[in-house]
Amino acid sequence: MAMGRLDEIVAGREGQPHRLIEVLQDIQEAHGYLSSEAMEMVAQRLSVPLIEVFRVASFYKAFALAPRGRHLITACLGTACHVRGAPRMLDEVLGQLGVAPGETTADGLFTVERVNCLGACALGPLVVLDGEYHHHMTPGRLRRLIESVRAAEAEVAAHA
Amino acid sequence: MPELACFNDLAGLRERLAAEQARIHTTIAVCGDTGCRAAGSRPIVEALQAEIDARGLAESVRIRVTGCHGFCEVGPVMVIEPGNIFYCRVTAEEAGEIVSCTVARGEVIERLLYADADTGAKVRTEAEVPFYRFQDQVLLGPSRRIDPRSIEDYIAVGGYAALVKALLQMTPEQVIEEIEASGLRGRGGGGFPTGRKWASCRAAPGDEKFVICNADEGDPGAYMDRSLLEGNPHGVLEGMLIGAYAIGAQRGYIYVRNEYPLALEHARAAVVQARQYGLLGGNILGSGFAFDLEIARGAGAFVCGESTALMASLEGKVGEPRPKDVHTVEDGVWHKPSTLNNVETWANVPAIIHNGAAWFAAKGTERSKGTKIFALTGRVKNTGLVEVAMGTPLRTIIYEIGGGASDGVAVKAVQTGGPSGGCLPVSQFDLPVDFDTLAEAGSMVGSGGMVVMDEHTCMVDVAKYFLSFLQEESCGKCVPCRIGIDRMLEIVTDITEGRGRPEQLDLLEDLGDTMAEASLCALGKTAANPVLSTLRYFREEYEAHIAQGRCPAGVCRALIHYRIEEERCTGCGACLRACPHGAIEGETEKPHAIGAACLKCGICREECRFDAVQVA
Amino acid sequence: MLQQVTMTIDGAPVRAPKGAPVLEVALEYAICIPHLCHVPNLTAFGGCRLCIVEVVEGDRARVTTSCTLDAREGLVVRANSERVRRLRRNIAELLVAEAPNSRALQDVAVRCGVTQVRYPFRRKDCILCGRCVRLCAEQWQAHAIGFVGRGKDRRVEYPLGVRPDSCKRRHACVEICPMTITPCGGPMEPGEERLCGQCESQLTMERDMPGVCIQCELGKGFHCLRAAV
Repeated sequence: MAMGRLDEIVAGREGQPHRLIEVLQDIQEAHGYLSSEAMEMVAQRLSVPLIEVFRVASFYKAFALAPRGRHLITACLGTACHVRGAPRMLDEVLGQLGVAPGETTADGLFTVERVNCLGACALGPLVVLDGEYHHHMTPGRLRRLIESVRAAEAEVAAHA
Repeated sequence: MPELACFNDLAGLRERLAAEQARIHTTIAVCGDTGCRAAGSRPIVEALQAEIDARGLAESVRIRVTGCHGFCEVGPVMVIEPGNIFYCRVTAEEAGEIVSCTVARGEVIERLLYADADTGAKVRTEAEVPFYRFQDQVLLGPSRRIDPRSIEDYIAVGGYAALVKALLQMTPEQVIEEIEASGLRGRGGGGFPTGRKWASCRAAPGDEKFVICNADEGDPGAYMDRSLLEGNPHGVLEGMLIGAYAIGAQRGYIYVRNEYPLALEHARAAVVQARQYGLLGGNILGSGFAFDLEIARGAGAFVCGESTALMASLEGKVGEPRPKDVHTVEDGVWHKPSTLNNVETWANVPAIIHNGAAWFAAKGTERSKGTKIFALTGRVKNTGLVEVAMGTPLRTIIYEIGGGASDGVAVKAVQTGGPSGGCLPVSQFDLPVDFDTLAEAGSMVGSGGMVVMDEHTCMVDVAKYFLSFLQEESCGKCVPCRIGIDRMLEIVTDITEGRGRPEQLDLLEDLGDTMAEASLCALGKTAANPVLSTLRYFREEYEAHIAQGRCPAGVCRALIHYRIEEERCTGCGACLRACPHGAIEGETEKPHAIGAACLKCGICREECRFDAVQVA
Repeated sequence: MLQQVTMTIDGAPVRAPKGAPVLEVALEYAICIPHLCHVPNLTAFGGCRLCIVEVVEGDRARVTTSCTLDAREGLVVRANSERVRRLRRNIAELLVAEAPNSRALQDVAVRCGVTQVRYPFRRKDCILCGRCVRLCAEQWQAHAIGFVGRGKDRRVEYPLGVRPDSCKRRHACVEICPMTITPCGGPMEPGEERLCGQCESQLTMERDMPGVCIQCELGKGFHCLRAAV
């Protein structure tokens, strides 16, 4: 990650250990994950032992410690979605992409995550694709959604 | 935007806003809550605005994007005033018709009206929709009439009047007395008397104090706080301001869960606006009272809903709870006296100050006063947010308001209180929702999540679900929670996979008891509740799994077997194409068969139109 | 000059410095409270939950860890009631089932009266007591190891998985670790894990004299504060 961007994020928060989580969140948003270099730099600039930075980064689920795929599929597995068959979304994902939650496909296209509740329970089962909420999902609709993303990516690749 | 320098400025603004509103003839309220948004309310708003502009109606017709109305099942919802016309399941394509018929000519579009599920009769107004009949929408009511991104909307409906009353007419001690007299108890799950908490904090030594709003609503299936914070952030701010005044706090935090981006956005915008209008900061409305707050964002940890873990997170640390031998009202965030309350608790404060404790205490039961918002979800017809007076029977909420079972499958249980709560069977549905009653029955009111389950839900699987959830979310510091949950999950998994033994049920109870007494924090202490309550009321399901290796609800994958009925199979291949695990084989127009690769996910059964896939 | 307070443990009035951990106060007075994660002069952790006691307040008694409980005037504590002993036994059972290959945990199990283990044995190398982490951070200021992850994934690790320069290989962490001493009968092979039970006489003493320090050999295994180096 460009050091300049990291500089911007840390600016104004030097030597303030209590800003650690915010800083890591900004880096996560800007770069999609927390690299070792980023964490080392944060430890130094915020005056926090590196082990503490690593601890916070590994404790909170919002942080990824490895680069994510280009498309993020998040399946909601809250109670309401669960009783409406949400676990089948994971079956579908496993079948279509060969990955389990927390993993990224080998071609770097998709990362699959699960979340324990998005708070849109009336519309469950819910799947979020790149920030867009898709409601009343079924395995079939998820399959078509994944296919449409693949098709779009193939288009882009063909014209590159 | 003008800063309000004194109380009269606020009153003056309110008058000006009323006059402005009087010039608007028609208001179209479109729900912009995350739920309706996901269902497509934004394109509707855009399309409506385009239509209105095209017809030159912008001077007299206003669109207002509001907070949640509650009836999420039929969203996106829209209410048109005058006339209180209620349209549901609206799409953007209908915008033109809505403007030309209803807005321009006052004609109602029949097909957009809500139809009574039993009689099919169309309902014209929101007030008549059966879903709302048994509700008392003290908190959700305002959300319907304001745009959460507009402080002026909030002020126009009387917002910040309670703050003025507190600052002008009451001492801090009187405010605390009023809250105590109201009987308000914490709405986050603990049910602790709010007035008492405030009094302890006020009495704690120290000049620097904090008020904190817990918006880390982590219970899966609960979204009352999300909708309140999204739909009426100023209502929460006003509550916190009054609380800060009463306690003597100058600073505060709102801790919003990471998974609620819109609530974060609205809360941040509300704080910025409140500062601009002089309602946050120094010398508020010329009273001499100073208060400001920061919005903090969670980072994906259910345990941060626990007060000491939340405070650790505010300090930039991992969400590890602290022992509560010294209470947080004395030693909280930054080791300063802190009052932490849930979103809904804060939201109740302005109305109590405005209308008086007696008004609040007149609702509810002896020991549970006021109203409570529940998120009614799961296998029920009318899912959404339901606000009822405490003491309303579960039966009323699930059947009268909720409309009973969806899919025609009988309701079997209701789960309340999230992972800390329990499951109650139909035989307990006459119980009133009341802190103490539900706790005695082995569940709890909790934060308000209410998930309805039917005959197709396996209660042992539900216990396993909650244990898996808690295993992931436990901070892992203390033995009874970290290892206890792990061992409970090991046992319950054994049971769902046919390896259960009868003595394991006693072990579950003994272990559950140890977790409840010896864990460091409430997460560990209540972690056994889902298991213990399902054991109490649904023991026969556990016994069937153990003694007969059978899952009565047909859910536990290791104990069920999928096969295709040859006579019914037409060989259409839909199941084969749908199977994500490649377990089905067959030639076109010949009967298909399910092979060993089957993982019992049930997707084939959903796809089959001939009912040929059977579960044994 | 530290202020002294009077408090009660198991009915006996004791004098203690105000703010001292009740666990240490009890041990001073030869009242046995089994413990594992507590180390004197390091911050109280409250993670193992073995040292739990009942704090009597009015007609109610709540359970809390004595290592995080500060001595104050008039505090009434029950360190060896039936309730507390039953809970401790269950906690010790969980611990020894996780890591039976540790003499410390086997000793703790005996001292807490564990006679049967109702869970399948596992073979963990770390019990997450946090002694090493706190020692490294607080006594040596090295911050070379720490807890990472959450819940079931919680583990002790170097920062980013790499041993840092601040680690001077003092091995203080190893010395204080309860996992470093194997059971008296030698390490247990996979499949042979069991409750050791060799200290039968100690088990009898636990039943007959639950609340009293018996200067047991067991204390050496888990670095009991009374037997502390």
